[in-house]
Amino acid sequence: MTRAAKTGGARRRRMAGAALCSLFCVSLCGSVLAQPAASPGGAVPRHPDGHPDLQGLWIKSAGGFQGLFIGSLDGTNFAARGGPPPGPRFEYTPEAAAEKKDRERRGYEDPEPHCHLPGVPRALDQPGGLYPVQIVQDEHYVALLHEAMHDVRIIPTDNSRHPRRYWAWDGDSRGRWDGDTFVVDVSNFNGRTWLDMQGNFVDENEHVLERFTMMDANTILYEATVTDPTVFVRPVEMRFTLKRVPPEQQILEYSCLEGERSLQHYTDEDGGKKRRVK
Amino acid sequence: MRGPRAGVLVCCALLAAALLGSVPYAGAQRAVGTTGFVPARLWDGRTPDFRGIWQVRGTAYLNIEGHAAERGVAASPSIVVDPADGKIPYKPEALAQRNENYRARATADPSLKCYQAGVPRATYVPAPLQILQGPGTFAIAYQENHAFRVFYPDTRPHFDAADFWMGDTRYRWEGDTLVADVVALTDQMWIDGAGNFHSPDVHIVERYRMTSADTIEYEARIEDPNVYTSPWTLRTVLERVKRPGARIIEDECLEGEDGVRHHISPQDPRNLLKSDYSRWKKPARE
Repeated sequence: MTRAAKTGGARRRRMAGAALCSLFCVSLCGSVLAQPAASPGGAVPRHPDGHPDLQGLWIKSAGGFQGLFIGSLDGTNFAARGGPPPGPRFEYTPEAAAEKKDRERRGYEDPEPHCHLPGVPRALDQPGGLYPVQIVQDEHYVALLHEAMHDVRIIPTDNSRHPRRYWAWDGDSRGRWDGDTFVVDVSNFNGRTWLDMQGNFVDENEHVLERFTMMDANTILYEATVTDPTVFVRPVEMRFTLKRVPPEQQILEYSCLEGERSLQHYTDEDGGKKRRVK
Repeated sequence: MRGPRAGVLVCCALLAAALLGSVPYAGAQRAVGTTGFVPARLWDGRTPDFRGIWQVRGTAYLNIEGHAAERGVAASPSIVVDPADGKIPYKPEALAQRNENYRARATADPSLKCYQAGVPRATYVPAPLQILQGPGTFAIAYQENHAFRVFYPDTRPHFDAADFWMGDTRYRWEGDTLVADVVALTDQMWIDGAGNFHSPDVHIVERYRMTSADTIEYEARIEDPNVYTSPWTLRTVLERVKRPGARIIEDECLEGEDGVRHHISPQDPRNLLKSDYSRWKKPARE
């Protein structure tokens, strides 16, 4: 590409380069600027339409599938009430269990590090404390603007039907208010997403029911039930809290630029282009 | 009653209507280009309601200075309204750079690599955008490459410690016009497909103004002493997408191994798992 600028400070250019390429820079910036709010409580704010006002900048405090940066179910830390549900959390069908084990070895195929959209619930289940989500809400939509992967979910609140002939990384979300809880039905997945970096996965039969409940002015309880009859023998439940980020902080831009250049560094047996040296 | 008197009456009525209509917001409109349209209001009874799905029609995204028709693409006039000749006032060396960019555009346009389109280009790419407003909140989600911008009130300072594809935006209302101040844009994106460009020090002032229930006039004043001899302005129109059930859809764009972008349509069955990972299911079918 042609460099456009002949001028501009070296600092600015260095920053441009950093902002460009580096997932990790953005991670760091995000973590510095998005510390969870310490202040507790307060009454649940109300939207002019009477529903809880979910608006603001939020960040996962702990828990989910990806509790730690290299996250999986082992890193789980349920910050919300109740602790983890009893029994194994992922119960795979036998063939899916074999596939999961295989994917553990093929971690480089996880689509998210290749800049694909993370899907649901992984969009919200980012490693704790790293990437906030901005919520914009009116009487027709609850929009989730995720820093991670600059993922956008604009969820209608009219409980409308899922479309036909539409298969997306994030599926298709249709919401409704159940009392003070915002309930989202997510379907129409393309079946290519992984749930975490450890090979836990779903296919195109995935179906997610999400519940957003404001516990107080600075806390949203997020619950998701993931069903997938061809992968799991019973639904997988997850639950964690989103904490309000202090208002003086802001969402930053996350750019994920893959370019597939890494393939030349993988050997062919790993799906790459490099000949294995015997 | 036909004849001059009727005409005078009609004129008086129109004048009165115009005056009456303009009184409540007379100080709120720009002096130039006022249409007298009063947008609907949000819950507070004050904030103009810009919500909806919008799209710039036309093909100015190829070259904002205007271009002849090309295969599959209609011709376009320049959307540069100031200077009056429709040309960007480049410094000589910058013009040479732009012309070099133009010659190499088929492969050098950064947009081919799936970067977020930046400001102002994201506004007039050939894809819709959605304006989101909640109480005290303003954001735009762009369909192309699922970019978005959160507009923060200009009472807080810019965050310009890094350069971003979509910049850093602060806004205020001038009457019914939303005025956005944008800095911290990377110089790695072009303004259009013809190689028009800016430096990292560019400063853009955008103005969004509803001129009817279904149109928003979009204006961007672009200032960059590194590249241009004077600030210049482009103007275009966002039209409401009125198709029932319209929404912006998922648009994933990834640069392939050939260096050219690939969109993955959610309406293309090839997007489904079956084409990629079917092998994990094979044992079950035996």
